[in-house]
Amino acid sequence: MIKKIKKFWAEILIFLSIMGPGMITANVDNDAGGITTYSVAGAHFGYSLIWSFIPIIIALVIIQEMCSRMAVVTGKGLADLIREEFGVKVTFYAMVVLILSNIFNTISEFAGIAASAELLGINKYLMVSGSALFVWWLIVKGTYKSVEKVFLFACLFYVCYVVSGFLSKPDWNEVFASSIKPEFRFDKAYLFMLMGVIGTTIAPWMQFYQQASVVEKDIKLKNYKYSKLDVVVGAFMVNIIAVFIVIVCANTLFRHGIRIETAKDAALALKPFAGQHCFYLFAFGLLNASIFSACILPLSTAYSVCEGMGWEVGVNRRFREAPQFYSLYTAIIIIGAAVILLPGVKLIPIMLISQATNGLLLPFVLIFMLLLVNNKRLMGKYTNSKVYNFFAIGTVVAMVGLSIALLVAQFTQ
Amino acid sequence: MFGKQERQDLVNENAKKMFIYFSALMDRPVIDSKGELVGELYDVMVKPSEVYPQSAQMIIRTGFFSRRYAVVDWADIQEIDGKEVTLKTDKTKLSFKEKHNNKEALTLRRDILDQQVVDTYNHKVIRINDIHLLEVDQSLMIAHVDISLRGLLRRLGFEKVVDFLVRLINDKAPYLENEHLITWKNIQPLSVNPVSMTIKINVPQKQFNNIPAADLGEIFLDLDMQHQSVLFKSLDLKNKAKIFMNIDAKAQKSLIEEVDPKEIVDILNSIPSDEATDILEQLPKDTSERFLSLMESKQAKKLSQLLGYSSDSAGGLMVAEYISFPKDTVIETVLKQIKERTFKVEPAQFVYIVDEVNHLIGSTSFRRLLLAQPQEPIQNAAFPKTYCVHLDSSVKEVAYRMEKYKYNAIPVVDENNVLQGIITVDDILSQVIAIAWRRLKKIKTKTTL
Repeated sequence: MIKKIKKFWAEILIFLSIMGPGMITANVDNDAGGITTYSVAGAHFGYSLIWSFIPIIIALVIIQEMCSRMAVVTGKGLADLIREEFGVKVTFYAMVVLILSNIFNTISEFAGIAASAELLGINKYLMVSGSALFVWWLIVKGTYKSVEKVFLFACLFYVCYVVSGFLSKPDWNEVFASSIKPEFRFDKAYLFMLMGVIGTTIAPWMQFYQQASVVEKDIKLKNYKYSKLDVVVGAFMVNIIAVFIVIVCANTLFRHGIRIETAKDAALALKPFAGQHCFYLFAFGLLNASIFSACILPLSTAYSVCEGMGWEVGVNRRFREAPQFYSLYTAIIIIGAAVILLPGVKLIPIMLISQATNGLLLPFVLIFMLLLVNNKRLMGKYTNSKVYNFFAIGTVVAMVGLSIALLVAQFTQ
Repeated sequence: MFGKQERQDLVNENAKKMFIYFSALMDRPVIDSKGELVGELYDVMVKPSEVYPQSAQMIIRTGFFSRRYAVVDWADIQEIDGKEVTLKTDKTKLSFKEKHNNKEALTLRRDILDQQVVDTYNHKVIRINDIHLLEVDQSLMIAHVDISLRGLLRRLGFEKVVDFLVRLINDKAPYLENEHLITWKNIQPLSVNPVSMTIKINVPQKQFNNIPAADLGEIFLDLDMQHQSVLFKSLDLKNKAKIFMNIDAKAQKSLIEEVDPKEIVDILNSIPSDEATDILEQLPKDTSERFLSLMESKQAKKLSQLLGYSSDSAGGLMVAEYISFPKDTVIETVLKQIKERTFKVEPAQFVYIVDEVNHLIGSTSFRRLLLAQPQEPIQNAAFPKTYCVHLDSSVKEVAYRMEKYKYNAIPVVDENNVLQGIITVDDILSQVIAIAWRRLKKIKTKTTL
């Protein structure tokens, strides 16, 4: 009996040392853009979209698990593998699109920082340049271990949304009922929202980041089960938090029929219904999420581009040892912060471009992933099983279809 | 006949003709003896046995949606250049199959281009952007690999545009020189077959012998895990030991888990005993005992004795390899024996003088021995006095004594004055530095508080 307990604690300890990449990648999903989407979904459609988070969890686990497995088995990043198996041309163009998409994503994260600064009554210029400096310093001066600790700590602050969810006093019976009973409406606005909610969940930078960080963390094959658990826990965590965002907005804004456009609108509109505390929690959550993602997105770009082009990679290296890696990282942060501080910048076109480039790249990345993970020469006996492949291909087809539909919808609107 | 510049240009022109980049051949059309299109050049297999591998076969690819491959011997090629490949035979003699997998062969596209290799000259892990081939007697040899940005641009088809732009700005820009070509002699490929976990080719790994041990350890840590264990397994004992001593404890541990215990024992046998005990100390008790049980008994006894001492006492720091002679030995014999013996470590230049049961009597130096009369007993060449430390002396004490008497090695004795081993100045220095660092850190944290 005692032996069993001891073993249990040992396993917990191993898990704690392995966890990180999956959880961090998943949590960054709830970035400024994600929070906006979920707020709007809750405000405009109430609880009626909550059911969609269950298939989202499954899709997220399936896709991210494959990345994690490839990292552990091959010890190489996704961009590394794409370069080695599909050649330099494909890699180069994929990286160009990835850089574009991540720059626009980073801009919208800095927009999130600016918005939350305004909500919290802090000077926008101070906040944006301060956070840019902070995220730059964190990566350039830190090691992988220290950076990961900061990231995991940032994950904890997402609890803000859970607390604010409880503060809004929802009817839990109704929440549970709508989460297991898919409600499908065939009006245009509902379908758009549904596509938006699912579409923001899986973005190309996530696969690159997850695989690169598992590689940098040097996780061994025998500890792979913990890495898998890391992915699953991360997927559940991010979606539970997303559900709470929807709940807060559904319970207050939807009930009173208030329409919103952004996360900032949501926070401001919350104030009269849910009180001061809820407002601050919501605003602080947005700030935390935005800073966190403003760090991860440029980092993911630097990882993948340098892997693909054969340059030195790694948070553990110094600026001198990996100049391209750090220059790229620095440049993206500077662009992201500078654009948002320009007077008269319109956010909507930026978000549109970032979604469009994401949607353009995602099909390629997912298809490459499927080909790589099923390549016996690379993966040995760790390729997908037939059943797993059935679900993986299903997910990939669904995600590709969705992102193309979203792309078409946005530009024909 | 020619001016100097013109002659140089001619040489360059000829050199250009002899060398060709693999990117210029890849995907070029292949035409048979009747002038009909067969397919495109997909890959080239080389004979890996030589220093500069030579082309042996060509793989032709055809079709777009249902791809098929055919293998052609190099002897069947009429002509090959940057535009197309002409075959001696005609199309009907080729047999196209769905797969071209030849696990044993080394191929340019699959195994070298875009892959990671070790540059054994600059001691780095690099990714190959292009391959520079030399044309010799109708066949191609791998001469250099290109890791430059220019190579990357060439593959992307932007080389000419960028070259033009660079020339506009600076005609002599370093970018335009071929300085990033690395000769194949210094390249160690790392293609791994994950099923059998072997490196496909085993080029004699002489190159590794020239790399300083510390750099070899660093190269090793630069590789991904899979490559690490595969590379390790393919090295000879000497290089294995070199790597093993120069990686951090974490990497050592994971190697120990993956490599056959017998091999680890061989390594432990071939490295200095203080290094071996350091490694054994970090392992769980049952693991280190298993290694000791696999060792030959004399070595095991020595190591388990060393293991018994606390790592910050003289006993834990000392090496059990030293030179000692009975007090009556004639100097001539001493010198002869020193010359004949092989040492695992470069011994400090002291010779210890002991009695029949290894009690420490005195010491002498190589210099003193050389200057003394060859016929005299060793005792006569001894220093007037020899200082030593005890097994349980602290690091500080050892350092203090060594500094005081200006020793670069100090003997360690037990309570009965029996010689146990020696501590060299570099062993003690690393300990002292570590202590100093810890102190400095403490002071720093205190002042910041």
